[in-house]
Amino acid sequence: MLSPLLLLPLLAILILNLPFRSLMQKLAVWVGVGLSLWQIVAVVLLAMGHKSADPWGKFFTLGLSCDNLTLVLLTSIGIVVLTTILVGWQTIGGDKQRFGFMNLVFVAMIGMNGTVMLTDLFSLYIFIEVTAVASFILIAFQRDTNALEGAFKYIILSATATVMMLLSISIILLVVGDTSFAAAGSAVRQFQGNPLVILAVGIFMCGLLIKGGVVPFHGWLPAAYSAAPAAASVLLAGIATKTSGIYALIRLTTSVFANNESLNNILLLAGAISILVGAFAAIGQSDFKKMLAYSSISQVGYIILALGCGTNLAIIGAIFHLFNHSIFKSLLFVNSAAVETQSGTTDMNKLGGLGTKMPVTNATSMIAFLSTAGVPPLAGFWSKLIIVVALWQNGLHAYATIAVLASVLTLAYLLLMQRKVFFGKLADGLANVKEAGWGITSAATILAAITVSVGILFPWMFNSVLIPISSFLK
Amino acid sequence: MTDSFILLPIAIPFIAGIVVLLINQRIQSVKEAITLLATGATLVLTITFCKENINLTIPWTGFGIDFALRLYHFSAFILVAASAFSFLFVLYSCSFMRNKPYLNQFYSYLLITLAMTNGAVLADNLVLMLFFWEGLLLTLFGMIAIGRPGAFKTAIKAFIIVGISDLCLMMGIGLAGHLAGTFTISKISLSVDSLGALAFILMMIGAISKAGSVPFHTWIPDAAVDAPLPFMAFLPASLEKLLGIYLLARISLDMFKLTAGSWISILLMTIGAITILLAVMMALVQKDYKRLLSYHAVSQVGYMILGIGTCLPVGIIGGLFHMINHALYKSCLFLTGGAVEKQTGTTDLAKLGGIAMKMPVTFVCFVIAAASISGVPPFNGFFSKELVYDAALERGMVFYLAAILGTFLTAASFLKLGHAAFLGKRSEHNENVKEASLPMLVPMVVIAAVCVVFGVWNYLPLDNLIKPILGAEHLEGLHMAPNTMLITVTVIVLIGALLHHLFAAKVNGSGYKASDHIRHAPFLEGIYTKAEKRWFDPYDIVLKIIQGISRFGWWIDRAIDWLYDDFAVRVTTGLSCVIKLAHTGSYSMYVVWSLIGVLFVVIMLMKSF
Repeated sequence: MLSPLLLLPLLAILILNLPFRSLMQKLAVWVGVGLSLWQIVAVVLLAMGHKSADPWGKFFTLGLSCDNLTLVLLTSIGIVVLTTILVGWQTIGGDKQRFGFMNLVFVAMIGMNGTVMLTDLFSLYIFIEVTAVASFILIAFQRDTNALEGAFKYIILSATATVMMLLSISIILLVVGDTSFAAAGSAVRQFQGNPLVILAVGIFMCGLLIKGGVVPFHGWLPAAYSAAPAAASVLLAGIATKTSGIYALIRLTTSVFANNESLNNILLLAGAISILVGAFAAIGQSDFKKMLAYSSISQVGYIILALGCGTNLAIIGAIFHLFNHSIFKSLLFVNSAAVETQSGTTDMNKLGGLGTKMPVTNATSMIAFLSTAGVPPLAGFWSKLIIVVALWQNGLHAYATIAVLASVLTLAYLLLMQRKVFFGKLADGLANVKEAGWGITSAATILAAITVSVGILFPWMFNSVLIPISSFLK
Repeated sequence: MTDSFILLPIAIPFIAGIVVLLINQRIQSVKEAITLLATGATLVLTITFCKENINLTIPWTGFGIDFALRLYHFSAFILVAASAFSFLFVLYSCSFMRNKPYLNQFYSYLLITLAMTNGAVLADNLVLMLFFWEGLLLTLFGMIAIGRPGAFKTAIKAFIIVGISDLCLMMGIGLAGHLAGTFTISKISLSVDSLGALAFILMMIGAISKAGSVPFHTWIPDAAVDAPLPFMAFLPASLEKLLGIYLLARISLDMFKLTAGSWISILLMTIGAITILLAVMMALVQKDYKRLLSYHAVSQVGYMILGIGTCLPVGIIGGLFHMINHALYKSCLFLTGGAVEKQTGTTDLAKLGGIAMKMPVTFVCFVIAAASISGVPPFNGFFSKELVYDAALERGMVFYLAAILGTFLTAASFLKLGHAAFLGKRSEHNENVKEASLPMLVPMVVIAAVCVVFGVWNYLPLDNLIKPILGAEHLEGLHMAPNTMLITVTVIVLIGALLHHLFAAKVNGSGYKASDHIRHAPFLEGIYTKAEKRWFDPYDIVLKIIQGISRFGWWIDRAIDWLYDDFAVRVTTGLSCVIKLAHTGSYSMYVVWSLIGVLFVVIMLMKSF
């Protein structure tokens, strides 16, 4: 059941690029929708304990595995890819362009699915790079100065990360001769105090922090997110960087890196700084997508903070927040895509009063920003609550306080955004703006519905869904 | 007749009140008819069973709080009086209130007030009584608020003052119920030691503030100017006195064993004496018909409290007799004031004068009522005051002196009022004044006639209405023989007041200015000026204190506001600017940051091993 998650997108790319180009161009979108929906269904089946035979598995020796953390990420990937395809369908003009976009999304999908299912460091690195390469091209998709600049910054910093990860992997290979998580983990424990191993752990972690866009490794992120086409922003912000950076970090911290105090302190510090820097920077932005990009940094900070806390509850909170973030941040980027396509700008000083013109976008954006700011009963509230409670229980009162107070900042900048874009008087030249097309609105509605229902169902979900997530922790 | 009939005096006016409120604003006559009918029916009903003794208990909320009503001679007496007054005032209002705004509200409030009064009087359970008592607070507020524009402020003042004293009553009731273990009035019997005294004083505050005693009186003169006139005759002049003194009598006679020697008795008498003097001093210098009357409505309460406070049978009988007498003459006086206002368009004494011949019936009624309130024999006020004097003298010379001085000033102020309003030179403004209409004259004449009857044949009300209230055990050893010495002093004082007035009117130039020499007397001048600026009004004093506190709170609020709105925003935007400046967009810079980060991470990790 696992290998098709990698093989089907690959197959799709191959078949779509056969002759009959014009037919295939039309089919591409449907294939994408089908793939992502199938992925969600597959996850549900897996979660229900459906373990069918894996006929292709024997041809590969990749060592795929699937635990609850993987399931959560696969769900997120399915949902966000579906959203990306719907938005891309609506916003990317020209059959050829759209076809290229869809292919890149499938590549990224392979990369992400592989990242979350693989169990050795080198393969992990490979699939992170697959995702990254797709991302480079997606960012540069529009081929204007901004897009190329954003892509270039990402490539440079990504290359730094690559170098560090490769170096780290080679050290580990040198030490134990194996790169599987289990072997690497035991090596790290065994050679505790060895400077080479410490170096390997440190730089691998830094590489992932660069991929995840954590302060101070975040320089590429605002430019990349805001330069990418609207649909690509959804994919990048919603899931791509979260998978390649944050998921990998969660996975490695829990199963490879020895759970030691200074590592945790570094994560706590990086998380808190990310929360604050991201939030303060977001307040100062006048560009819709840039603000969302900085907001992303800030929200990732919460996940890192919880990870640094290290208790089971904190890690559940981190994973839950990762899921929620992929939903509400995608939703905000979908809304920004709607605004961008309909009004032609993302400069919030030129926008205003779109609430009546774009009711669906307005309403879903409101849900998303309330969820991001952690207002009950939406999903974002619960994940932040778990994180804060976990921090407090662990005696990290200062960090818990920062987490709570930063929610106020979150509310401040998102409220500012909501007011500037949707409330107030209609800005000049926006009289003819209409609601975005059905692809965007339906994507927004689905995401908003998920946020609301997860929030409302949380009391029932907590014991039956969230607690079991921690089963992957030893 | 079944027992549940005693629900009717509450139900009839209440239902009628709701109906009147719902009827279209324009159909005046129907509303008047319903109101008249309802009050008339209530009056007939109360008269028919005023001799009965009925106890009715309906289970209500539990916890010892039953819907218990008790009809006996005292409550029946108040019921009849309240219903009779209501009927007469409605008749009067049919003419006076015609074409005034908020008519349906006025009649509705009047009817509901009657219902609540009847309920409070009949209630044999303290909590039930409180329930009706608070209902009165609402109608009181409503009736003032529908007066002339700006009356709303006065309504709030009344609401707050009465509300606070009602709160005291509520606490007193709670305490009394706790001490006695029951809320049923007829079963409570407490002594006035430590906690009992507190309960008594709290309930007493509720009672005497309802009656309008100092220092809970300050809304009454304001309401006299702002509220519709029948309201003044209806509530502060009659119904509230009946209720307040009824409750005071109930708590000091039945519920608490008040004895002549206790300090509470002294406290009550002191409150009474101060009320008499303070209010009458203010009344003396008023230049407005209604305002002058309203201060007397306060002053006369002093006699009742003094009388009951003596704890002597004579004094209690005097106080209760004075209660009904006061309700009679003071409402009559207010009604004459209303007639004057309706016919001349003003109650400013400076613009009135010389209308006695134009409005003879009103004038005669005024003279009777004024003589009655001043305590001129043989009108009813004379006899009740004599009883109070008798008791006061027995308890202490100082109380007697206060009472007799009050009588002197009362007489002086009514001589001034009558002189200024009805006699003297007639201004051109009043050349075409006519006598008031019949519906306004009938209530005045009836009440004035009762004043005379209760005076000349004073044994009628005393033997039939007042004495049964005390019960046989209080009446033992009661001597009510006329005290020649007291009567002589009273007559001398009254003649003195007349001479004083004649002399003062001559010196000062007119009846209107007859009290000016007191107003401008060396020591009193300053006090009066400050009193007119409301320096001594407890309501305004408390208001000023609260304003001071709220100003202080406002500064704190500003400071907190500044902290959030200004300081926090500045810090945030400052930090935001710094962070924005750091993001130059130069990728080399970002790479450097990352490398510094890596360095930091590695060093941190290395250090730990």
